[in-house]
Amino acid sequence: MKNRLSSFNGLTLVKVLIYLFFGVFLLLPLVSVFLVSFTGQPINLLGSITNSNILQSTIEKFSSASFDNYEKIFTNKTYFSAVQNSLELAILVSLIVIVMCIPIAYGIARTTMPFKRTIAALCTIPLIVPTFISAYAIIIMFGRAGWVTYIYNSLGGEGMLLDPYSMAGIILVQVFFFFPYALWPMVAAFKVSDISLEEASLNLGARNWFTFIFVTFPLAIPGVISSALLIFTVSFSDFGTPIILAPKDLNLLVVEAYREIAGFFNWGGAAILTVIMVLVAAFFFWLQHLFTKGKNYGSVSGKPKQQKLNDAKGLTRTLSVYSLAIVIIPLLAMLSIVLQSLATTWGKNPLPNGYTLSHYQTIFTSSMGNIQNSIVLALGALILSVIIATFVSYFVVRQNSSKLDFMTSIPLVVPGIAFGIALIQTFNTAPLHLTGTALLLIVAYTIRRLPYMVRSTMGTMRAIKQDIEEAAVNLGATPLTAAITIIGPLMLPGIAAGSILVFITVIKETSISILLAPADWAPMSLAIFQNILRGEYYTAAAMSVVLVIIVLILQAIANRISKNQL
Amino acid sequence: MGSVKVSELTKEFSGVHALKNVNLDIQEGEFFALLGPSGCGKTTTMRCIAGFEQPTSGIIQIGETKVNHIPPNKRNCGMVFQSYALFPHMNVFENVAYSLNIKQLNSSNMAAKLPIYLRLLNRKLGKYPKPIEQKVMEILQYVELDKHATRLTSELSGGQQQRVALARALVMEPAVLLMDEPLSNLDQKLRHSMRNTIRRIQQDLGITTIFVTHDQEEAMSMADRVAVMDSGEVKQIGTPIELYSRPSTPFIANFVGTSNVLKGTVVGQENGYSVVKGHGFLIKSTNHVEQKEVNVIVRPENIKAFKPGTISSDELTNMIEGTVLVSTYLGSIVRYDIKVEEYQLVVDTTFVPGEAILTEGEKVQLTIDPERVLLI
Ligand SMILES: Nc1ncnc2c1ncn2[C@@H]1O[C@H](COP(=O)(O)OP(=O)(O)OP(=O)(O)O)[C@@H](O)[C@H]1O
Ligand SMILES: [Mg+2]
Repeated sequence: MKNRLSSFNGLTLVKVLIYLFFGVFLLLPLVSVFLVSFTGQPINLLGSITNSNILQSTIEKFSSASFDNYEKIFTNKTYFSAVQNSLELAILVSLIVIVMCIPIAYGIARTTMPFKRTIAALCTIPLIVPTFISAYAIIIMFGRAGWVTYIYNSLGGEGMLLDPYSMAGIILVQVFFFFPYALWPMVAAFKVSDISLEEASLNLGARNWFTFIFVTFPLAIPGVISSALLIFTVSFSDFGTPIILAPKDLNLLVVEAYREIAGFFNWGGAAILTVIMVLVAAFFFWLQHLFTKGKNYGSVSGKPKQQKLNDAKGLTRTLSVYSLAIVIIPLLAMLSIVLQSLATTWGKNPLPNGYTLSHYQTIFTSSMGNIQNSIVLALGALILSVIIATFVSYFVVRQNSSKLDFMTSIPLVVPGIAFGIALIQTFNTAPLHLTGTALLLIVAYTIRRLPYMVRSTMGTMRAIKQDIEEAAVNLGATPLTAAITIIGPLMLPGIAAGSILVFITVIKETSISILLAPADWAPMSLAIFQNILRGEYYTAAAMSVVLVIIVLILQAIANRISKNQL
Repeated sequence: MGSVKVSELTKEFSGVHALKNVNLDIQEGEFFALLGPSGCGKTTTMRCIAGFEQPTSGIIQIGETKVNHIPPNKRNCGMVFQSYALFPHMNVFENVAYSLNIKQLNSSNMAAKLPIYLRLLNRKLGKYPKPIEQKVMEILQYVELDKHATRLTSELSGGQQQRVALARALVMEPAVLLMDEPLSNLDQKLRHSMRNTIRRIQQDLGITTIFVTHDQEEAMSMADRVAVMDSGEVKQIGTPIELYSRPSTPFIANFVGTSNVLKGTVVGQENGYSVVKGHGFLIKSTNHVEQKEVNVIVRPENIKAFKPGTISSDELTNMIEGTVLVSTYLGSIVRYDIKVEEYQLVVDTTFVPGEAILTEGEKVQLTIDPERVLLI
């Protein structure tokens, strides 16, 4: 016992605080929302501890708990179709993405396809654009007055080529803006699949296409399936696209959950939808892990095998044209936004009627506050995640704290909108009345992005040998002082890379911002969203461009840092 | 102040007994070596003393104080790590100054802590006080590194890094200096000169030193006393000469230098000699032991080899005949592997220029001075 006490040092205190943080801001909200899905009324667990009256009413609510809400999934048409549509959307998107990416992945991994670098570079565009901006870009292109529609009509087409406000529109956005998530793992899978088997097949006289279908592709299948599952989860959790594009009669889980809470304050309904979202996302996340377990496509160790690349002219050219045609679409979408932001007006024409910088002037005078808010909130989340992630990786790497490791990866499977609902539900009354404060917003951003930060810091932490830290302790430093003066500075590169990533994703964050941001703390993403809803398209476009440029600059810095590290 | 006493130290790692009832009594100012094969528990013993491992049972005392419950940062043991564990983001000066900074940090109030933290994080953020600077430069001069004070440790040679690690441990004036195989990362030549450097510094400062090594030559040439360990147990403690001349087990006889070990039975006493009979030999020893079954230990240099018929009559005690299997010329000595019945003996003879070396297959007569025959 004495032993226990003497080892209760500063570090232990930090560990307790971190557990407390996750307990209050992650587990408690998720548990609460789960309970509400039974009671149908808000549950105040924290209040039940501090106040006996609340405890009394909580107990009453529990006594009336039922499976009503769960039955509603099947009896309530809206809920049922929301689940159905969401699953359908996610399945379609992942299938289309996979089929679309196979030729590109093969081209990059196994051929001498021309313009490989250009294609790879263009593939980064979708990753830096928040989906609600991409969705908006699709409106500019495919909408009633869009330039694609113009071209389509002048070629003799009737109406719109594709209605952006439809399931097809949502699929279009998600396919073209999520495909890089699948592409790179698939490239890795194609690179890894055993070349000697292919050569054997070719030696036996098989044709190229035969070899591909019966040898190359089957070998890459685990990688492909895991990519499909990843896309499924990403599409299923995406809020930005559906909230902009889903028409009134198209129910999707994320949108429906948002409406239940923001429109009707129907706690029970929001809770059950949240529970379903989390369960589905967690299930697919788990499936994906099952497929990648033991197969680390990202970092193949040792010397890469010298592979013979396919250089048949006809094949590589076709692949190159096909790949360029696909990766050019996100670029066109972004260019459309840029043009819109510079346009005086832009009707149903291929180009704007005139050009002006006045929209930028407007946002830099009247919306400066939103930009500031975004930066302050992102900085807050950055600082908080740097501190937490540094200590978490310390505990995980040095003390084998697998519980913390698990806890920090929970946010990966909780869709943003689900997490937002859980937070609102939990913190909208005393004793911790935080809904509507910047603090809760920062905490929410932090928890949501912590897994990425932890991954980054954990890598550098693993590279620091244990005896360096022991040396510091041996020289008289307490473990906490050693962590601050030795481990901290040595982890700086990992921390820098990770924190830029956090900053970027917070600026891009949609669902949490829309759900939780109070009016006086509205970040850019919320401002753009509201502008689109109000029909102020030109300022929305200008603000989007500013947002993307900020992200681009930070991304470039982050790449710089991680390159220097290597 | 600087003595170290370890009593009945036992350490278990999830079922594995790394240490079993280790007892050490190290005098103040002594240079004490822990010697043993890989995995025998040397590092674990040292880490228990430094406080990085909690003993499963047993007592550790530094000076008169029991330190079992004192955390490692308060034990005042200077440790030199096998990998040196220098702080890669600090230069030589800052590495050495670290413990002095920490000492100042611990003894100052809240407001005064900040500048110390700042200069610990980055040298440009704070000035070092004169006394610290002086002390660091002094010790750097002592290990002949004062000219490299502003270099990053990655820009130093292995031997220089080793001296930084030593200076860093010494500057805090530790009660005990712990070194875990400090020379194993150096090349042969440097190892020899560092042996002398470490021994000189230890003598100069009179600091109690515990030195871990698996190299018997290192332990024997540097230490005042050596503890030989095997599979978690201390097998024998003694001065190098005691260990060499009176090893307590065949394992030690073989680990500390080379030995010939023959099994035999004591068959009687004769003129003050014990007579031991083995498979095909009869040997006399001045040694007397209680038990009947014994190990006969003879060092290679204590066996003399003669061509048959050249032995003078006064050397005829303990004469054995054998055949040369291999002869190896090692410079000042010639080493023979000689087959005697079922045994293979190692024999070292001084090489005398002009004298012929016995060749393979040649018959040979061996004699052993009974005083050099050890029975255990
Ligand atoms: N943290 C640990 N967990 C489990 N077993 C351990 C641990 N540390 C050491 N051991 C075991 O304890 C035994 C003694 O290890 P120790 O490191 O003390 O050996 P050593 O004498 O220093 O060897 P070497 O000369 O190779 O450094 C070994 O069997 C080792 O496997
Ligand atoms: Mg060791």
